[in-house]
Amino acid sequence: METARTLCLWCPDWPVVAARRRGDAPDDAPIAVLERSRVFACSAEARAQDVVIGMRRREAETLAPGITVLEVDLSGDTRMFEPVARAVEDLAPRLVLERPGMLSFPTRGPSRYFGGDEKLVERIIEVARVAGVPDARAGIADGIFAARLAARRGVIVVPGETSEFLAPWPVGTLGDEELGSLLCRLGLSTLGAFAALPVPSVLARFGSHGLGMYRLSRGEDEHPPSLTVPPPDLVETCELDPPAERVDEAAFAAKVLADRLLGRLEAMGLACTHVVVEAETEHGEHLARGWRHEGALTAAMLAERVRWQLDGWLTDGLRDRATARGGLTGGLTLLRLVPEQVIPATGRQLGFWGGDAAGADRCARVLARVQGIIGPENVVTAVPQGGRTPGERVRWVPWGEPREPLRPIEAVVGPVHSEVPSWPGGVPGPPPARVFDPPVPATLLDVTGAEVSVSGRGEVSAPPALLRSAVLVGGGGEITGWAGPWAHDVRWWDRRTRSRCTYWQVAVGEMACLVKVKQGQAAIEAIYD
Amino acid sequence: MASSSPTDSVPGDAVIPLRDPEARARLYEVARVGAPLLLAKDRLLPVPGPLGALVPELRRGMVVAVTGVPGGGATTLAFGLVAAASAAGEWAGALCPDHTLGALAASAAGVDLTRFAVVRDVPLDRWAVVAAALLDAITVVLVEVPRGVRAADARRLVSRARERGAVLVTLGEWPAAAALRIHAEGGEWNGFRMGDGILTSRNLSVRVEGSGAPLHGLVSLAS
Repeated sequence: METARTLCLWCPDWPVVAARRRGDAPDDAPIAVLERSRVFACSAEARAQDVVIGMRRREAETLAPGITVLEVDLSGDTRMFEPVARAVEDLAPRLVLERPGMLSFPTRGPSRYFGGDEKLVERIIEVARVAGVPDARAGIADGIFAARLAARRGVIVVPGETSEFLAPWPVGTLGDEELGSLLCRLGLSTLGAFAALPVPSVLARFGSHGLGMYRLSRGEDEHPPSLTVPPPDLVETCELDPPAERVDEAAFAAKVLADRLLGRLEAMGLACTHVVVEAETEHGEHLARGWRHEGALTAAMLAERVRWQLDGWLTDGLRDRATARGGLTGGLTLLRLVPEQVIPATGRQLGFWGGDAAGADRCARVLARVQGIIGPENVVTAVPQGGRTPGERVRWVPWGEPREPLRPIEAVVGPVHSEVPSWPGGVPGPPPARVFDPPVPATLLDVTGAEVSVSGRGEVSAPPALLRSAVLVGGGGEITGWAGPWAHDVRWWDRRTRSRCTYWQVAVGEMACLVKVKQGQAAIEAIYD
Repeated sequence: MASSSPTDSVPGDAVIPLRDPEARARLYEVARVGAPLLLAKDRLLPVPGPLGALVPELRRGMVVAVTGVPGGGATTLAFGLVAAASAAGEWAGALCPDHTLGALAASAAGVDLTRFAVVRDVPLDRWAVVAAALLDAITVVLVEVPRGVRAADARRLVSRARERGAVLVTLGEWPAAAALRIHAEGGEWNGFRMGDGILTSRNLSVRVEGSGAPLHGLVSLAS
């Protein structure tokens, strides 16, 4: 079977373009879009100042002072891309979104209809320009991988010459860092050199994943054309009653649907690489859009893509019902996921006895449901991190996001080993069971009834004798024991975030608390409950 | 693969591929024969740490009500009970409307923070729904009882816990039945006087009311 001839349309720097259109970023200034504090995309102005993708935020800010930094918003990017996808869909119905800013479709029908590949490319670029993307690029080649590279250059590869076209590209374009670096070390720096290896050797040395990459480098499809056509009963359908008009309602149903579909595929030993999201509205409109992923889609990734798509349809269509062209005019009544392309699952190795996998899975589902009820940011887990006060030493991470501390618990060991602990001046003793954020106002008085203050040199005006606050039983009272103060002069090198304060451990009867005094204002930061 | 979230690595129910029905059937047979019987002790979760001397174990499906004045040690006791789930390698959760639980204190009491989900900022009208959802899958659920919880909602949660085999630990005035009531009566803090030393440990006086006579005891909590 031959590799299908494919056209790929690429809108360069789409996250930047989308952010500018949303009005989040200035038009002619350097912009970097970050994902997990690394540069995910940047504007041409930023590139001119040597900002590159994958760079840390701090490096980017050093290279391009005054750069506008944004968090990546893939859902918003998809929404902005929807008009382009719709416009192209008018010409080529079998369109597949690769990611926001890039789409592809097989050219067999459209190319003949519009009178050849050149005419088709011209037409598509014209359509994209009308939809508001002036610098879109398109390319045609055999197979999606080669088409993507062709789109970068904006060329049309002659049928059957795809492997020659691919040969000079570096192996890094395969998108697998580990394999790419290994191939370079083996002296195979171009796709052509990799493609020249004999198949059995590739399979023996690099395994089945390596074989997939090898097929790509030869201009073939990554997965050999499979005879397993997904049986029709794999389609997952969900009726929405009442119709969903808000994205989160529909997205919740989509998540359940995605879980169900992937669960059934998994039971059959299959994985899905291309799925079509279909929706019907109360006015009988029917929408469908395909999504592809080079690896296999997991339930979370699939649900994410369905959510982006729904966001695009619902937000766009319902904003102005009268003028919406191709968008939705009513709520969604039906949602369907159709696995278009399936491959044998060779993926993850599960634990031998399964462990408490079922329990963890059930738990994950329930937490996701609770997130649906009260909002994703309110279901959190704690990650211990470096810091001095009980509040600083914990980061609360929303469920489903990577559990990474913001500050290391152990400071990086320098060339000279010192006896100083990683976070000098931290409050010692057992951690308090109640931490208030923000701290609760209080008054800390000495025996004469004056507020206790600490001078710039850390000298205490008088020992504390009385603590009053609303959170204490009976409003507070006489102090029966105290320790401290621990003086903190945090980030003295940065005027904006600098903070000077002192901490005291104070006991009022049987109640112990951590009191913070900042600029003469006392507050209770934590209670040892 | 693109970005992966923790849920990606959670394996599904189907551990055995369906490709070979015969092998699958045989494996199920082996699993059935080899599976341990569910004994009464499997329904018990041992309580680790110093609290274990007073409350040796939690029974799945029970409700434990913990009370005490602020600063009296009730939160620390509740963390000690939640640690029973971590000790068994299972999940624990907390429903904390004002989000003041100290994660480090929980960790010190033996709670595994990687399996401890906290739900915060829950409006009162959703409180019972969220608590019920958590009881569905989480072994030990700590809920802070806000003011104005209806007794009917509380009773429904009690039966939900029993039905799902989850332990419900309540913190604050609980307007329904509880198999065990634990009251933190406070205790002196050791380690510091006026202006010298640091907070080190505490002997917490605890009263436990269960089916038998009330039990009094001291729980020593050190840093």
